[in-house]
Amino acid sequence: MFQYFLKRILVFVPAFLVISLVVFAFSKMAPGDPITIDPNAVFNQEDYQRQLATYGLDKPYFYFSFTSLAYPNAISKVLIQEHRTTLQNLIAQYGNSEAVLNYYREIGQLGKAIQSVPDSLKGDAYIEIKRIFHQLYINYEDASVTSHLQTIEKNYQSTTSDLAPFFATSIPALQHNYQNIKTNTSRWKLYVPRLQWFGFDNQYHNWITGFVKGDYGNSYRDGRPASKRIKEALGWTIIMNLVAIFFAFLISIPIGVYSAVKKGSFFDRAVSLILFVLFSMPTFWVATLFLVFLTTSEYGAWLDLFPSGGLGNLSADQPFWTRFWDRAAHMVLPIICLTYGALAYLSRQIRGAMIDTINQDYVRTARAKGLSERTIIWRHAFRNSLFPLISIIAMIFPTVLAGSIIVEFIFNIPGMGRLVFDSILSKDWPIVYTVLMLTAVLTMLGNLIGDLLYAWVDPRVEY
Amino acid sequence: MALNESLATQSGVQSYWSIVRKQFRKNKLALWSLRLLYLLLFIGLFGNFIANEKPLYAKKDGVHLFPVLKEIAVNFGFSKWSAELVHADWQNMDYESVIRAPVPYSSHKSDLANIYKGPFDQQEVASNRFRHWLGTDDLGRDVLSGMIHGTRIAMSVGFVVMGIAAFIGLMFGAFAGYFGDDRLRVSKATVLMNLIGLVFAIYYAFMVRSYALLHGESLLWELAKSILVFAFVLLLFNLLAKLLKTIPWLKEKTTLAADLIVMRLIEIMNSVPGLFFLLAAIPLFRTKSVFNVMILLGLISWPTIARFVRGELVRVRSMNYVEAAQAMGFKERRIILKHALPNSLTPVLIAIAFGIASAILAESALSFLGIGVDPNETTWGQLLAKGRTKTTAWWLTVFPGLAIFMTVTIFNLIGEGLTDALDPMQKR
Repeated sequence: MFQYFLKRILVFVPAFLVISLVVFAFSKMAPGDPITIDPNAVFNQEDYQRQLATYGLDKPYFYFSFTSLAYPNAISKVLIQEHRTTLQNLIAQYGNSEAVLNYYREIGQLGKAIQSVPDSLKGDAYIEIKRIFHQLYINYEDASVTSHLQTIEKNYQSTTSDLAPFFATSIPALQHNYQNIKTNTSRWKLYVPRLQWFGFDNQYHNWITGFVKGDYGNSYRDGRPASKRIKEALGWTIIMNLVAIFFAFLISIPIGVYSAVKKGSFFDRAVSLILFVLFSMPTFWVATLFLVFLTTSEYGAWLDLFPSGGLGNLSADQPFWTRFWDRAAHMVLPIICLTYGALAYLSRQIRGAMIDTINQDYVRTARAKGLSERTIIWRHAFRNSLFPLISIIAMIFPTVLAGSIIVEFIFNIPGMGRLVFDSILSKDWPIVYTVLMLTAVLTMLGNLIGDLLYAWVDPRVEY
Repeated sequence: MALNESLATQSGVQSYWSIVRKQFRKNKLALWSLRLLYLLLFIGLFGNFIANEKPLYAKKDGVHLFPVLKEIAVNFGFSKWSAELVHADWQNMDYESVIRAPVPYSSHKSDLANIYKGPFDQQEVASNRFRHWLGTDDLGRDVLSGMIHGTRIAMSVGFVVMGIAAFIGLMFGAFAGYFGDDRLRVSKATVLMNLIGLVFAIYYAFMVRSYALLHGESLLWELAKSILVFAFVLLLFNLLAKLLKTIPWLKEKTTLAADLIVMRLIEIMNSVPGLFFLLAAIPLFRTKSVFNVMILLGLISWPTIARFVRGELVRVRSMNYVEAAQAMGFKERRIILKHALPNSLTPVLIAIAFGIASAILAESALSFLGIGVDPNETTWGQLLAKGRTKTTAWWLTVFPGLAIFMTVTIFNLIGEGLTDALDPMQKR
């Protein structure tokens, strides 16, 4: 048994690593980094570099990079992620990295030229040129870049001779360099692989070693440690889901057992129908229906039973029970949404398992022995039909989290699901990483526990 | 179909599928679900004809026009609108004679005189022929028309997602189930070359093409090209392996634990919650389209199918007819494709039926949350999301939700009907 345990742990480690790689890869592919998201940030290279260093984002991504000849190291030295993405996309289209870098430098020169224009000459043409300058850093599709350059050209030609000397060298050089990119393509370089080693001081390594030690980083949004935010949010999710699971089991066990025992009766068929209907109703629909009909007095004051959304805002100096009941009132509808699906599923499983068990020989023997029906059902049949439930318990954590996302989104409850959803949308990667990795760890742990429980409960299973 | 059956019963021979069909028919609920499914498929296919602001037939200035047919041709790229018809106001034009679609609104046409009108409210329309029978949304778009167009998207989601999942799942499941842990013997050269080849194949198919995949106009086409490149590179490396077999050490055969590899892969895929993966992956694509969502959903749904196929193949591979085929010297591939797989499709069909239900559910959940939503396409989830913000517009919540609920129920009932029909213990 111990050997089996050990074997499972051994498999767990590579799975964990693979998931971490996938999560990391996704976060690096998504555009935007924490500094550009902050609208108040300033963007010159030195400031940017310093800010990146505080997040640890100026290091190389991974131990090595497996790219093509077309992407020299110089590209990774461009730290502003938006610019780097633009350059990468340009290279992906044309292949000539040197020409692209020259073009990039010329854009920088244009920026300097723009800054050197005195205030007295800042007319409409100037504003237009400045706006396009910012766009050039972001656009890489031929159509947009060409049209931008044409607009700049037009504005440049149309100005009086006052502005001309400032841009005399930069604008023609810009045009020339862009044309150069398109004419001197070296696309063949994109197909030659190149392996580059960066060593152990890279973002992935630092993240994963920190993670294993328990350091989950700080949220990009407000700088607080990720673990704190997650703990706060986790509390609500766990409360709601525990209550939901508790009620689901509480209601589904009697229903499942009773409909199995009275198989074919009116009760059994009516309940099966109701459960089937419940099972097919999408959570987000039921939640929205609740929100629309039961939380406002639009459709009759007698329906305004529950507070709409959120958790209530009572201050901490109210007595505990007042706050408790207020919170509870807010959580009734979400908990119902979380319960009914699990309830339907569990009842059907239990019913199915019980039907199989009741047809077994040993139940017939027990009846022949003269045991009371109650003893037979609960002490013998029910215990033996618990096996399918074990595998359900194993998969509880990821299912719960996924279900919570929708319910918390609709009812505006600050739980884990909502936290992850918001973090992904606002690119707050430390939180997303941590939650995803924790989910993966707990899933695999759940699977392991499920298998172990199975082996323990059923003495016929051999490991 | 009926002729086949009667012929079969006359001669006393009943094929497996005719038995299944008869059994399925005895389940009234499942039968009606199947009929409703046909109706939904019809609505999905012919949605353009059922709900469209363009008339089906119009006679204008003596010219016979068939605007809806023309619209379909234009969408497929076969034809173009003439200059005066491109921006025509089809609803208010004068016609000599006209036959309109049953629902005379397109799903994306706004009707600003009728914002947030419910089905029972007073509506500002020309006559009852133009009434919005299920209400309108925030821009006056007709809800009934939106639901009809949503049907098409829901049907395609179901079939595309499960098509992809079934294809991949069958491949991996058959591979894992048939070969198990100890029956796949390949030369070391092949293993080595395939491992290295895999790295290069991934490099050339996906990393070098990442710009095309993420910025291309049609993800499906770019993905297809990537798959071709992948297969080609692997082929090259396999040819190289054949050359390398001249070295005696590399020619030796070693056992490849196919089952173990595939099961670990499935376990890893099950550890990442699908919703998270989709939330993180979808914003990466430049073009927002339901199609991208469908492909991604298909790529994460194959493990369930693979598990079932694997289970069945483990059972089938020890059957006598497979042993006989092996004794006759047939190649493994032929045995799998012609003998083993066709007999293992039973649980796969059931899994596909339930899988379609959950794919439609997942896609509507995603469009409800606003992920991967193209403003030009109307899906049920999108309509439902509009109902959440405006609680007075109950028709935006009730009707699309009812549509999703009914579609999921239909597929669940069909799945249950298939389970009962295919269960050998229930034969009467």
